[in-house]
Amino acid sequence: MKTVFLVALILGFGGTLAGAHFAPWLEHARLPSHTSVVANGGRGEQFLIRLPADRIAATDGEAGGLRAKGAGAAMLLPAQFVAEPLLVEHFKVRDAEGSVIGVAARHWNGGGAGPTTTWSVLIPSRGALVLSGPGEARGALEGALRAGGYSAGEAWGGQIAVPMQRDGDGAVTAGTGEFEGLSGSYTESWTVAAVDEDGRVSGTIELNTITSRPQ
Amino acid sequence: MKYLFVAIVGLVLGAAAAGVVLYFNPLAAKSAEMPSPTDRVLSYSLPDHVLEFAVGEDARLFGQDTGDDSLWEETIDRTAVLALVLNDGSNQPAALASRLLSTSAETDLLLRGVLVSDHWLVTVPGEGTLFVQADSNAWPFMKETLVPVWYLDQPWTGPAEYWPTIGPGADDSGRVVGVTGVFRGSEGSAVERYEVTALDPARETALAKGELHLNLPGPQVAAQ
Repeated sequence: MKTVFLVALILGFGGTLAGAHFAPWLEHARLPSHTSVVANGGRGEQFLIRLPADRIAATDGEAGGLRAKGAGAAMLLPAQFVAEPLLVEHFKVRDAEGSVIGVAARHWNGGGAGPTTTWSVLIPSRGALVLSGPGEARGALEGALRAGGYSAGEAWGGQIAVPMQRDGDGAVTAGTGEFEGLSGSYTESWTVAAVDEDGRVSGTIELNTITSRPQ
Repeated sequence: MKYLFVAIVGLVLGAAAAGVVLYFNPLAAKSAEMPSPTDRVLSYSLPDHVLEFAVGEDARLFGQDTGDDSLWEETIDRTAVLALVLNDGSNQPAALASRLLSTSAETDLLLRGVLVSDHWLVTVPGEGTLFVQADSNAWPFMKETLVPVWYLDQPWTGPAEYWPTIGPGADDSGRVVGVTGVFRGSEGSAVERYEVTALDPARETALAKGELHLNLPGPQVAAQ
């Protein structure tokens, strides 16, 4: 009887500690990665953002424009930042098949020597990828829409592609998890299909990345 | 039957003893070394400096309502997105930060604690953008403050100070990468500190002040 008790006690103690150490308590669900091999080396992967569904929030302020509208909750900037050339947007991110796999932050900064754009894309089961490059001109989206016949306050439909980051300009700057140590490039393109009377933009953002591990 | 009963009692007592060991385990309570006094400090207060907070359904520490725009998909339901205004030393707004947080698969209740992967994107207008990667240990806060006060109705005895950063740097600090502007090309370390100043489950109120200590030696080149 005493032996049974002691063995059970040790098993209970050891099993609990082993569970605390080895159990995968907080692993994230992972979907298969849709990557392709690039002809001249590297791994290609596309990330998609469907607007307006995937927009979590965007800052207001003078730089916000149409992109600050249609967000679940506008981020109200403090007075000191309202006139700054600064736009912060948060999105859900999908894989090439359209399944949500992560979240992302996009910072556009129009100050300094020239506008810059930085993306932080977090895929919880894989890690984070930081992309950066020259930013688009202020109001690039609005300008392209106006050229396509859009007028503020009126609904608009059509198909306009706005390249925000051209081939060769955007770079993979940092990474964590399985993206750690990778270098590469990216392009960013917005395709707008509609704008409603309230300024809510419907369309798709495509982030096309090519990454490789430096030899 | 008697043996089965004794075995069950033994297992339960053994598990309870292990639970006590885990609760008081000093290995799960370590933090990074104190930052240098020369570090650049950006501060925030919660909830005043929160521009936006979206949280996954399985990442709700305070059991709050996630609203209609929650991160409900199973791939991101242990994730949170937080936007903050960061103040400088004169307590004026100096930067905007996006924090993408997720529970970490590196969580190890025996040796490391409850880990959160914290990815900051910090833009300082007129200067540039920084990326900060930090592993934060939420276990000390959960054990000492959140569970006793918020869930077990014990009286609040704060304020309570925490230094949650425990990696991924060799000195247990976070990693900073300068991305654009004057920060471009620089690398350094970061440590976060926060102080919970009020916690009232009856009023569903939680107040805190936080600081991000940035140490950025290395090259700083002209703006992009």
